[in-house]
Amino acid sequence: MARFTQTFLSRNAPPRCDCEVDRGVNVELAKTRRLPDLRGFVLPALAFAIWWAVSAIHGGKGGLLVTPEQVWHTTWQQVTSGALAKALGASLAREASGFAIGTILGLALGISLGLSRLATRMIGPSFDTFKQISLFAWIPLISVWFGLGDAAKVVFLSLAALLPVAAHTCDGIHAVPRSYVEAARVFRYTRRQLVWHVILPAALPSIFTGLYLALIYSWLATLGAEYLLVAGSGIGNTLIDGSENFRMDLVLFGIVVVGVVGSLLSGLARAAERAVLKRRGGALLKENV
Amino acid sequence: MSFLRLFRSVAIACACGLVATTAFADKPATIRIGVAQQGNGDPPTFGGSSAATVQQQQLLEKEFAADGIKVEWLFFKGAGPAVNEALADKSIDFAFQGDLPSILGRANGLKTRILLESGVRVGVKIGVPPDSDVHSIKDLKGKRVGLFRGTNLHTVADNALAKNGLEERELRVINLDTASALAALASKGIDASINDYHLYKLRDQGLARIIYESQNDGPQFTRQAHLLVTDDFEHAHPDIVQRVVTTFVKGAQWSSDEANRQALFKSWARSGVSESSWNAEFPPGTLKWRNSPLVDAFIVARYKAVAQDALKLKLIRQPVQVDGWFETRYLDNALRTLKLEHEWTPYDAAGKPLG
Amino acid sequence: MSDTVILHLEAANNQIPTQTQTRRWRALGWALAPWVLPAALFALWWLGCERGWIAPQILPPPARVYATFVELAQSGDLLHNTLISLQRVLCGFVAGTLGGLLLGTALGLSRTFEAYVLPSFNAIVQIPVLGWLPFLLLLVGVGEPLKYILIAHAALVPATLSTLQGFRNVPVTLLEASRVFGYTRWQRIVHVVLPCAVPTLATGVRLAFTKAWLALVVVELVASSEGLGYLIVYGRQLFQLDLVMAAVVIVGAIGFAINRALDALERRLRRGLPSAFR
Repeated sequence: MARFTQTFLSRNAPPRCDCEVDRGVNVELAKTRRLPDLRGFVLPALAFAIWWAVSAIHGGKGGLLVTPEQVWHTTWQQVTSGALAKALGASLAREASGFAIGTILGLALGISLGLSRLATRMIGPSFDTFKQISLFAWIPLISVWFGLGDAAKVVFLSLAALLPVAAHTCDGIHAVPRSYVEAARVFRYTRRQLVWHVILPAALPSIFTGLYLALIYSWLATLGAEYLLVAGSGIGNTLIDGSENFRMDLVLFGIVVVGVVGSLLSGLARAAERAVLKRRGGALLKENV
Repeated sequence: MSFLRLFRSVAIACACGLVATTAFADKPATIRIGVAQQGNGDPPTFGGSSAATVQQQQLLEKEFAADGIKVEWLFFKGAGPAVNEALADKSIDFAFQGDLPSILGRANGLKTRILLESGVRVGVKIGVPPDSDVHSIKDLKGKRVGLFRGTNLHTVADNALAKNGLEERELRVINLDTASALAALASKGIDASINDYHLYKLRDQGLARIIYESQNDGPQFTRQAHLLVTDDFEHAHPDIVQRVVTTFVKGAQWSSDEANRQALFKSWARSGVSESSWNAEFPPGTLKWRNSPLVDAFIVARYKAVAQDALKLKLIRQPVQVDGWFETRYLDNALRTLKLEHEWTPYDAAGKPLG
Repeated sequence: MSDTVILHLEAANNQIPTQTQTRRWRALGWALAPWVLPAALFALWWLGCERGWIAPQILPPPARVYATFVELAQSGDLLHNTLISLQRVLCGFVAGTLGGLLLGTALGLSRTFEAYVLPSFNAIVQIPVLGWLPFLLLLVGVGEPLKYILIAHAALVPATLSTLQGFRNVPVTLLEASRVFGYTRWQRIVHVVLPCAVPTLATGVRLAFTKAWLALVVVELVASSEGLGYLIVYGRQLFQLDLVMAAVVIVGAIGFAINRALDALERRLRRGLPSAFR
């Protein structure tokens, strides 16, 4: 019975805004089976076996077809020599600063756009237009305007994080049902109480979607910035160096690192979202039962 | 009372005097030099010119250590064009840059002064995959060619193409920086790469064949590079500029001495290009010819020619005045101080030695 | 009473602002409000160049950018490069979206297929599109295939995920109702699941295009011999910032226009749903 309520609520709760599509696996697939589902490992295992076989026959002579041992060797060497830590540290530091700045500014912008009709009317259309211009087209201009070094990269990353956060915060605030606001008015909430206790919590799922997307976009932007802006140290530089020195093993290593970090970041965002929303969802559950 | 007023005015005068002297003796905390190359290694370094020698032997750092001035060498993956951006941004004071990118910068209003040459009469090479059916420049028609636009490779490449009756438009030119071009050539992503001595690296590995070396066609088919300084820095710190130029001339002298040949190439090999490649690039007896810092008639004529070519190729929109761009008094002072007036041979506009 | 009437008439004659006039001014202000910010930015740009606050190499004056734009249009370069970019993005986008729709449908319809394939797909999704660029550079070089593959991949991921989500988001009640009415599996898919999934699919298609356009710009910036990104690189190499800005404006305008079109399409599809689903 509890499971039905859970499912029913997850399907019939107040609608999320029709914003970007959620990534990730459906709730229903959460297994209630006893045995772990190993079927997902079949395909990767098969691919790995084929790779191993083919490279054992043809590869290992330099060139593009590298053996798993070579990739493992490179990985080990990168990790133990501290090169990975240095590169990853630089990339993550940049991403963190860009993400932080972009999120704070994005929240401020989104909240002001959401709450003030005048602001929406004045800034909204320009912001909307700006949002739709492909971000990477700005890189050459940003690099000329903000010079060498990390300033340009951080500006770019902040921009990449700011856009989804502001957009989703604004949408979330606009999507708060009128009934909530009217109920608060009945209870004579001041404007500050209205915003803090009613509007922001109601907009929280949307804000979290925005934060989650900001994290993903800023990771993507970190890579892009490292390809297109001045050389420095970072995991993107490792990837490009690998491709320029025609070392497929380094490129594969870089891809795996990028993928792992990406999934860790999105897992982190999801966990935070679940932690904050579970408390809220739990309250909702109590009210209805 | 009047004594107090006198005392106050004297005190103010002394204070003003102190401020004035400190302002006049104001030294920059750092000297920033931009290098129009990607650099190799960590910390990055480069090779192939007297500037590289100066950087590798840390001559500038030693020169300014006593004054507490730091020297920062900044490398640019985007080469000459990226250095122009840094100059416009006032992020660097000196630049080691090629002829064409500096002309592009000057055409767009950058205020700089060329101090001395560093790396002259350098050729351009065209490399193709080993099994390619391209054997001469004429075969490049319609092929995918990697060229680093806006660097001093550009005009020499266009001149070489014109000599063989081709235009850039008849090729499919992809703008690739040095390292990307090497990678693309090795993986056969492009049919040819117009590059420099870096191609030797691929040739030694059997991944490329060099079908053309432009210096064989005469000095008109070579490119030059120089050290320049921003107008602002020169006006503010002429003494520092003089010391920098003198240090560079010392570096040029060391690099021109055939006795230092092995040590020179060994040092330059830290840039990733092997000693044997440097030996091939600098045949015996050519060190002095290639590392001469003189701004002679040949150099001025070459820069004027490149400016005209750039205008013809529509790389710049209005003509560039080369006269008045070279500021050679620092170089002359340095040669006089170091007694090196006759160390290098000046050449005339056609490339023939003068006296 | 007549006094008040006379007073009103007099007021009207004397042009004292009435309520209607204030309302009209406010309406005018409201209509013009969106233009205030762009106008202010443009004024700042123009003033900054006039007064020389920023070096002209770093921020070319608006007149210069406009002149370059006209020059590009007249010489045919603009059309040529725009068409090439559009062709690349459309091919890649269509290929990727179709592939995504097919893959998403397969994943949505068959639980077994999903159990085998989805974890691997999720793992691949974790790697951002740009992470694949060096790998593809080594594998296929810098020709056209690089662009098509990268753009198709960029479009495939959101298309697949949103298709899958569309399938999974069908309300349980509707499925049960269709079971009550004895629909076969095929009928259920065509008459219940697909119409329900259409709005999510439309969002997915729009997202796929955004990602595809992004990927196009990046790959053209890194390695290409034609196209809008190539124009940007060319301008940058020759230190002609006005060319760069003109090209950026065009990239932005095209992305904006197509996005708007897809947005309108999506909204139409959402609106056109039969009311039974509300």
